[in-house]
Amino acid sequence: MSIADSRRGRWIAALLVLLGIVVALELFAGVLGVLVDIVDANYLRAVLRLTVPIAFAALGGIFAEKSGVINIGLEGLLIISAFTSIAVAGLLGGGDATQAELWIGFGSAVLASVLFALLFAVVCIEFKADQIIAGLAVWLIALGLAPFASKVIWGQVNSPPIATLNNWTLRIPTTDVVLFDASPPVFMMLISVPVAWYALNRTAFGRWIEASGENPKALDTVGVDVRKVRYTGVLLSGFFSGLGGAGLALGRVGQFIGGGTTMVNGRGWIGITAYLFGNYNPLGAFGASFLFASLDALQIRLQQLGYNVPSELIGIIPYVTVVVVLAFVGRTRLPSAAGDHYESGEE
Amino acid sequence: MSEMDPQRRRLLKIGGAGIVGTGLAGCMGGGGDDESTTESDETTEESDGGDETTASDDGEETTMSDPLNVGMVYATGGLGDNSFNDMAHQGVQDAESEYGVTFQNSEPTSPSEVESLQRRFAQSGDYDLVCCIGYVQTDALTTNAERYTDQKFMLVDSVVEMDNVSNYKFKEHLGSFQVGHLAGLLTSEDFSAGAGETTDDLVVGFVGGEEVPLIKRFEAGFSAGAKHANSDVEVRSAYAGAYNDPGTGQSIANSMYDDGADVIYHAAGGTGNGVFQAAQEQGRFAIGVDADQSKSLSEYSDVILASMVKRVDEAVYRSIENVVNGEFASGGIQSLGLGEGGVEAVYGQQLGSEIPDEVKSALDTSRESIIAGDIEVPTDPSNA
Repeated sequence: MSIADSRRGRWIAALLVLLGIVVALELFAGVLGVLVDIVDANYLRAVLRLTVPIAFAALGGIFAEKSGVINIGLEGLLIISAFTSIAVAGLLGGGDATQAELWIGFGSAVLASVLFALLFAVVCIEFKADQIIAGLAVWLIALGLAPFASKVIWGQVNSPPIATLNNWTLRIPTTDVVLFDASPPVFMMLISVPVAWYALNRTAFGRWIEASGENPKALDTVGVDVRKVRYTGVLLSGFFSGLGGAGLALGRVGQFIGGGTTMVNGRGWIGITAYLFGNYNPLGAFGASFLFASLDALQIRLQQLGYNVPSELIGIIPYVTVVVVLAFVGRTRLPSAAGDHYESGEE
Repeated sequence: MSEMDPQRRRLLKIGGAGIVGTGLAGCMGGGGDDESTTESDETTEESDGGDETTASDDGEETTMSDPLNVGMVYATGGLGDNSFNDMAHQGVQDAESEYGVTFQNSEPTSPSEVESLQRRFAQSGDYDLVCCIGYVQTDALTTNAERYTDQKFMLVDSVVEMDNVSNYKFKEHLGSFQVGHLAGLLTSEDFSAGAGETTDDLVVGFVGGEEVPLIKRFEAGFSAGAKHANSDVEVRSAYAGAYNDPGTGQSIANSMYDDGADVIYHAAGGTGNGVFQAAQEQGRFAIGVDADQSKSLSEYSDVILASMVKRVDEAVYRSIENVVNGEFASGGIQSLGLGEGGVEAVYGQQLGSEIPDEVKSALDTSRESIIAGDIEVPTDPSNA
């Protein structure tokens, strides 16, 4: 009963937060009509593209944290994969890389991100490093390494532009009616989200991940290797972040920008807020990512219509939201053993 | 640190002396022997006692005092932005080949690093001039110019009123007016060239980096220029909030193109590359900034109509030249506009030849009128 109550309370509070945001925007925008004007197919397309890196980072974060390893290095993994994708594709094909070369770049980027995540996993699981510090290290290393490597390869922190992945078009079979036309990472995201949800909620693997984060001793008792489960969780976070970073670089921009906070520009951090907001549920995390991305897109549109919404203000919405959600929306469902090392009792 | 610095400085000196030596040797032709002698000399001196080494250091300092040594602190976008910083870099390279000056680059990754990078140059006392590129440096330079009164600084894009700072400002609004005029004229007609074509809508767009007075000047000029061409033209503008986020730049540009914008002008550093990407995807046009971007980003030359070139290279070069000639403009503000060649609209490498002649002559006319003062160009978008 009390669980159901607190859950309902949480939802009501979440709705209130949402409502608050909408009202705040309304105050800026003035009229509802503007919103109706803005939301169309193009807007949706723009939002989906903005969602990609955020949602992938969030999916990755869910697997790692549910298994008991808090991975706050997602931003770093995005940077590494964005850089690697452009570096590999650019070295193979130069300015006009073929689609095949771009896909090799894409694959290498995912691999690089997974390897980086492996490094993180080894440090956290084998050497029992503090997960938060190790995660920060992942970010800081990536923040320095990617621009440095850019300088070595291109002599400057920004890469020259290369091609981007061609759109995939979904047609109704045997007709010419286009159902959906988007860049491949968007398709991957729309597939990954339900798959991740299914894996976490309907498979044995999902229950292991859950147990590894909630009660690793129980998992150990029934004979499942907690370390293996945690490694898998972290590697999956590397895999998804790899898709996100390469998707940002090859699916949209076709260039690596390494100045300042790099082209990733905080999307990994927003990913973390997205899965916290979505309460570790892939569908919720996707919804939160989509919400944050759509606020960003909305802000862009409102600016053009002469409503001057400061972009900095929109930029902090995810963080404000997550503070509100964590503080007021009831007991946060952080996995109980997240952040703790687990030592099998047998030795 | 205090132990590291002199050591590193000595390394630099030896390296510098080596380079000078090689250069001289190259000039004289049969320099192989000279070089090897110098090297063996140095080795013997190094292997001798500490006193000897100091002596050799002093000797090298005299050879080093001849060519000018310049410290470069770039803006946060970093080298390779294909515009602002690369232009500054070009300027110092020009000075290198013309006057044989030596220079040291430093690229801050965040505004907070600017202060220490400036200080490091000033503290060492080895630099005849420290070039501070970009308005981000203003506050830091105010502090450092006061602390190191003997150090000569030059500042691009902003003003610090100190005797040891020479300021270079550009009248970006004038150059932006020119490209705005171009955009306004072209959106009013059916024009297709390279990978782009105009639509029936009379819309042009502006994408800014951060919403600061400097970038607003670009917007104001562009918007006034577009309206000068045709008062029915609608100018959309938006700021990405960053200079390193092409993803956001692309989203903004896409939404503008979706709303019928034919030409988008950006003043957003690396963020602007997303604008070019969007232009190519949508088959419309874009206008570059700071450098001739149809040249520096030739992959996008089929959509870049023109670039509002800001001759940062010229400013850097001139300031170094002044120091070489002993004419450092202390505390002065050089304001470079259309007439002084500080800003100009440069047509794209590929598309320039396809722009109709009447458009070009209209631009020439408005250029003359601006220089003559017949056209007032606003510096604030709310007056545009």
